[in-house]
Amino acid sequence: MSSATPSPDPRSSAHGHHKRHSILPAVSQSGPKPPVQFSSSCTVADSALLTGPHTIIVSTESVIHPRARLESLGGRVTVGRRCIVHERACLGAADLQGRYHKGSPDKDGRSMGAVTLGDYVTVEVGAQVESGGTVIGEGTTVGIGTRVGAGAVVGKHCTLTANSIVAAGEVIPDYTVIYSNGLRRVDKRGVSDLKNKAQARQIDVLRRMIPSNPAKFQ
Amino acid sequence: MFGNNRLPAFHPGLTQSRIRDTTTGNRLWFPGVRSPPSESSPSDSDPPNDQLPLPITPEDLYDTPMAPFNPYTYIRCPCSELNPYAKRTPDVTAQGLSRAAQDDDDHTFDPRAARSNYSLYPLEYLSFCEDCHQIRCPRCVAEEIVCYYCPNCLFEVPSSNIRSEGNRCTRSCFQCPICIGPLAVNHVETPPDPNQLLSPDHAASSHSGSYLLSCSYCNWSSTEIGIKFDKPNSIHMQLAKLRNGGETRLTAKERKERRKEQGGGGGGSNNGQGEEDLDTLLDMETQFANLKSFYQNQLSDANGTGKAGGDASAALGNLGFDAPASLSRIMSLYTGSSSLHDKKSKSRPGTMREALAPSEGLQLASLDETSAITALQDFESTTGLDAYSSTASTTQLQSQTPYLGASPLHGLTRFTSSLRPIPYLLRTKRSKRCPQCRHIISKPESKVTTTRFRIRLIAGNYIPTITIKQLIIPGLTPPPMPNLPPDTIAPLQPAQFVLTFKNPIFESVRVTLATPATTPGRFPSKVTILCPQFEIDSNTDVWEEALKDNNTSSASTSTSQQNLSSSTGPEGGPGRKRAGTLRPGTAGGASLAGEELGPEVGKVWEKGRNWTSIVIEVIPASLVQTAKRDGKGPIKEDEDVLEIPMFVRIEWEAEAPEDEIMPGLSGAKGGNKDGGKEKRELAYWCVLGLGGLRGRCKRGFVCGRS
Ligand SMILES: [Zn+2]
Ligand SMILES: [Zn+2]
Ligand SMILES: [Zn+2]
Ligand SMILES: [Zn+2]
Repeated sequence: MSSATPSPDPRSSAHGHHKRHSILPAVSQSGPKPPVQFSSSCTVADSALLTGPHTIIVSTESVIHPRARLESLGGRVTVGRRCIVHERACLGAADLQGRYHKGSPDKDGRSMGAVTLGDYVTVEVGAQVESGGTVIGEGTTVGIGTRVGAGAVVGKHCTLTANSIVAAGEVIPDYTVIYSNGLRRVDKRGVSDLKNKAQARQIDVLRRMIPSNPAKFQ
Repeated sequence: MFGNNRLPAFHPGLTQSRIRDTTTGNRLWFPGVRSPPSESSPSDSDPPNDQLPLPITPEDLYDTPMAPFNPYTYIRCPCSELNPYAKRTPDVTAQGLSRAAQDDDDHTFDPRAARSNYSLYPLEYLSFCEDCHQIRCPRCVAEEIVCYYCPNCLFEVPSSNIRSEGNRCTRSCFQCPICIGPLAVNHVETPPDPNQLLSPDHAASSHSGSYLLSCSYCNWSSTEIGIKFDKPNSIHMQLAKLRNGGETRLTAKERKERRKEQGGGGGGSNNGQGEEDLDTLLDMETQFANLKSFYQNQLSDANGTGKAGGDASAALGNLGFDAPASLSRIMSLYTGSSSLHDKKSKSRPGTMREALAPSEGLQLASLDETSAITALQDFESTTGLDAYSSTASTTQLQSQTPYLGASPLHGLTRFTSSLRPIPYLLRTKRSKRCPQCRHIISKPESKVTTTRFRIRLIAGNYIPTITIKQLIIPGLTPPPMPNLPPDTIAPLQPAQFVLTFKNPIFESVRVTLATPATTPGRFPSKVTILCPQFEIDSNTDVWEEALKDNNTSSASTSTSQQNLSSSTGPEGGPGRKRAGTLRPGTAGGASLAGEELGPEVGKVWEKGRNWTSIVIEVIPASLVQTAKRDGKGPIKEDEDVLEIPMFVRIEWEAEAPEDEIMPGLSGAKGGNKDGGKEKRELAYWCVLGLGGLRGRCKRGFVCGRS
């Protein structure tokens, strides 16, 4: 906690939870302000970055950390229920060539959107989920620094360990663990329900620690 | 043809060389480690075809992107000399030593020779024996184990336990069989009620009272091989009893009972069992126990024919090589068939037969692979992953520890789904002894959790460190050539390097350097040391120095501390004095001019508190060859590095020890003693790695791919 953090009453922070403030310089909100659909129970940090012309949806009890980027330049970005998007993670990122892919329309002709996170998804620090109809299934953890290519469909309850790479358009089956430079195996622990429960508990803590300001984006 | 292609790969000079770090371009210092075959290295031993690629094109030289080059110094340990300890007899004189050193001079040390790979070390890896006054390397010191410990739980394991229980941790420390990550012991938790998932019920989830091992990286858990534990401690013991699937291993008693049942059913068992149970799978220890009892019975039967009524234990006593039956068999083996033995063996029908049934230890090799193939296909269809990922890699199989409860012996597992947790391999703390005088050079604290050393004589505290920097004087040094990759030296053009010697000891040291006029090898570079003899001042107390500096001015503590910190390193600080201005007898103007003219022959370049730097000039060889002039063939490994062998001799006066007369290099002659001081000398070869060598083509440009 830096001393520069404004604290109107020092005693109030003594008994309550410390709100987590970033010590980095203020984020410059650039680009178009996207239309948003926030659930009343979601937590969106003040310094989260939301840009793009398309709608950004954050569902019930999800937490968007400070400095997380949600870019809807390639289409709609949807965050499911009880998801956690960590700092400097980016949903709807451009690919390595700097292009924002558009999701191809599905069978019914509706747009797939840029990025869709199922429920209970965790996107860890610095992870990049490229735009272009990319889907992350329920309960999946996208590890630190991992890149999920445009149009990839990651199944339910997968674990992408730190610095993994999922190629564009790849389809990852449910319960896959990607580890050790791209090796794959199946998670047979059968603890997805327990993991979801732990996620709910973590969100409970995070909501008290991260100052939320959804009104800023509406 | 084939032989020609393969021969260079086995040439010791090519394969046993120091490995070059692919990211930094620097050599790694593992002596004797074979470099792994790398596809990216153009200097690799195997030429692509039979023809020698001549002439070497610039493209050959530029095949790999040049990694940045850090200059280095390696020091040669004296143990690689032909007779390393012969000349250090107690009555050796200083004269004899210098003669020995001259002998060394006669045959210049070649850093690229295959043998040199084993004796060159960076200073940090060398020790120093205070009694022999000599450098010692990891290769020549004698190591002794101080203690064994587990790297995971840091518990010391007594050496008696090593003998009885093996070299792995027998507590609860395991590595993941899939990814070798550490495994944690966790509760087996029962899944919560899915209906209550979204309700804010954060009560601790109930656990079923059993435990499992789980990997937090790749999400492996011991439930995948069907193993759960009753208690969270002494997992090793619990695991040893459990077979994959959770079944417990048979105890010796159970095995005996089982055998009795089968033996009773099969009658006399002489004709073997029925064919139907030949497929019975035995685990390794059951098979061994069955075989053992079968052969014991056979032997007692065979002996029993000779002396009927002898009980089994008495028969076993006759099994040695001196037993008449065994002896006759062995004799017939070695002497061929003699009529006498033939008659004898015929007279004893059915001496021995082989095991015929699983109850006797017969285990048929299962050559039917259909189950494995269907398992592969099932894996692909159920998980959607490549079937290859379900098979265990060689590394995974190798790190498995043998498990006697495994079944069966033939057709050992090839799937990751049956790999067992790996108990942690124990580590050791070791002390090191001098190979000659047996004094201890390094001894760690025996307590596992401390990283301190009781004794540690490292060479860096005794011999000067050498740092290398290219000398670039604006206006004097020619500008870098176009297209020259960074950190390479322009060929056929003088380049100067500053060598800084830093003295670690509390006496001033006299240094004498020598190099061959040209570097050994096929591409000789010219070398000149501008100042081969110089002194380095003693490594005096930094506080003393700081106080001396501040005596004139009214120094506060803070400024003296600032000086202290800045004067410690050779770069910068108040101790730094350019030789030109320091030199007595030169007028101010002349010294300024001298500085602009660059280094002078016979003069020290710079000097400081406990360091002196001198200049070495090289004219690097060019690697470009024309086809007609000299067919040297492809550039070999390390030929594109400018390495200079340098002989260093340091002399100093040390306090003579009063109670003992030092053998060896201390030169314990009475005449040398001067008020309790004696002359000391140390001489060794070292190698200076200055930079990368490049070729230059006829047009005078450094060849690049541009
Ligand atoms: Zn040695
Ligand atoms: Zn242990
Ligand atoms: Zn693992
Ligand atoms: Zn010694």
